[in-house]
Amino acid sequence: MTTNGHRKNATVWIQRFNPDFDRRPYLQPYSITARQGMTLLDALHEIKTHQDGSVTFRRSCRHAICGSCGMNVNGRNVLVCESPLKDHLDGKGRVTIRPLPFLPIIKDLVVDRAKFWEHYRQIKPWLLPPDDLPEREFRVSPEEVKALCNAEKCIMCGLCYSACQVVALNKGYIGPHALLKAFLRTLDPRDSAPGERLDIVADLTGVWRCHTIFNCIDACPKSLDPTYAIETLRNLAARRLAFEEERRERQARFGEPVEVGPPVRMEPTARVESPVQTGQRIT
Amino acid sequence: MFKTTGFISFALRRFTGVVLVLYLMLHIWVIGAATQGAEAFNRRMEVFASPATHVLEIFLLAAVAYHAFDGIRLLLVNAFRVTGPRKSMWYAAFAVAALLTVIGGLPLLLYALGISY
Repeated sequence: MTTNGHRKNATVWIQRFNPDFDRRPYLQPYSITARQGMTLLDALHEIKTHQDGSVTFRRSCRHAICGSCGMNVNGRNVLVCESPLKDHLDGKGRVTIRPLPFLPIIKDLVVDRAKFWEHYRQIKPWLLPPDDLPEREFRVSPEEVKALCNAEKCIMCGLCYSACQVVALNKGYIGPHALLKAFLRTLDPRDSAPGERLDIVADLTGVWRCHTIFNCIDACPKSLDPTYAIETLRNLAARRLAFEEERRERQARFGEPVEVGPPVRMEPTARVESPVQTGQRIT
Repeated sequence: MFKTTGFISFALRRFTGVVLVLYLMLHIWVIGAATQGAEAFNRRMEVFASPATHVLEIFLLAAVAYHAFDGIRLLLVNAFRVTGPRKSMWYAAFAVAALLTVIGGLPLLLYALGISY
């Protein structure tokens, strides 16, 4: 590695695989000049534009919102658009980029997410309003909004799904992303089918299959806590009928002051923010 | 592969679980001889009366201790939904299991080596 002010040479090892020609994936090195503030996505663009146009990867928004550029960098799942290159270089100025693990590779760094979306649809992630809509607004307390808004920040990037070893071992397991959305919809007071969703997730391909490995929390680029959501769903599934009755009673008492049961916590987990995320100047 | 403390704890938990199942089968095989009389039981016990077996018992103790304390950690997560200090809790479970293995393993090792204490 040579350094010249804010520029230094870096070697980016990229896993290549073209199903038309290659029997198995292999790593290919590319030398680039790492500039100040360069992200891993910038590095991939640099390689694709100036060295090898055949390098294939997904990307879109470049602002960690679309969730399409999830990749495995040095063994960790990250969004490459928000990850500074310099943070991932080892002592010799090398970084290794592979596609998300446990998912079928379409080409190079692009994986097939069909199963991911199939599991997502399984839990009916949309709102199911009741037939008899209230004349006024639904009773949603600020505490509930606060509790649920974090779960709503999920961008469906698939990092947690691909980081989960249970997903790798059990193809039927619906995954932390789907369970987080099930948590969101089940606890949403506007939804009319919490019991139906609990029925879907409370089996051996749902919450009871999770082995509490916590990889989903460690991988989440939005600092969400799918494990907490899974534990909450387990708890609710065990007392499903009582939970549904509480929901009906609360909606029936419209007009009275909002009374909230035990608060549902969904705080962001502690995480070291990168300068790109916090908007700090990179020096 | 996504390697974290969570993955290491999961892998160790699965491995020690398999070790415990194998031990249980062996244990039932030995204890089962008691129904055939004292002679038969003693003969079966002699199969394991070697220093090497006593050293293996230290590993068994380590497996039991780790599996138990990692299990308690998961029960706490399940009961109280504490996911924040997940790494600290694993380090604590591992440390307690290691301490118990040292405390319990030392007499076993001395016994295996034929040293009286």
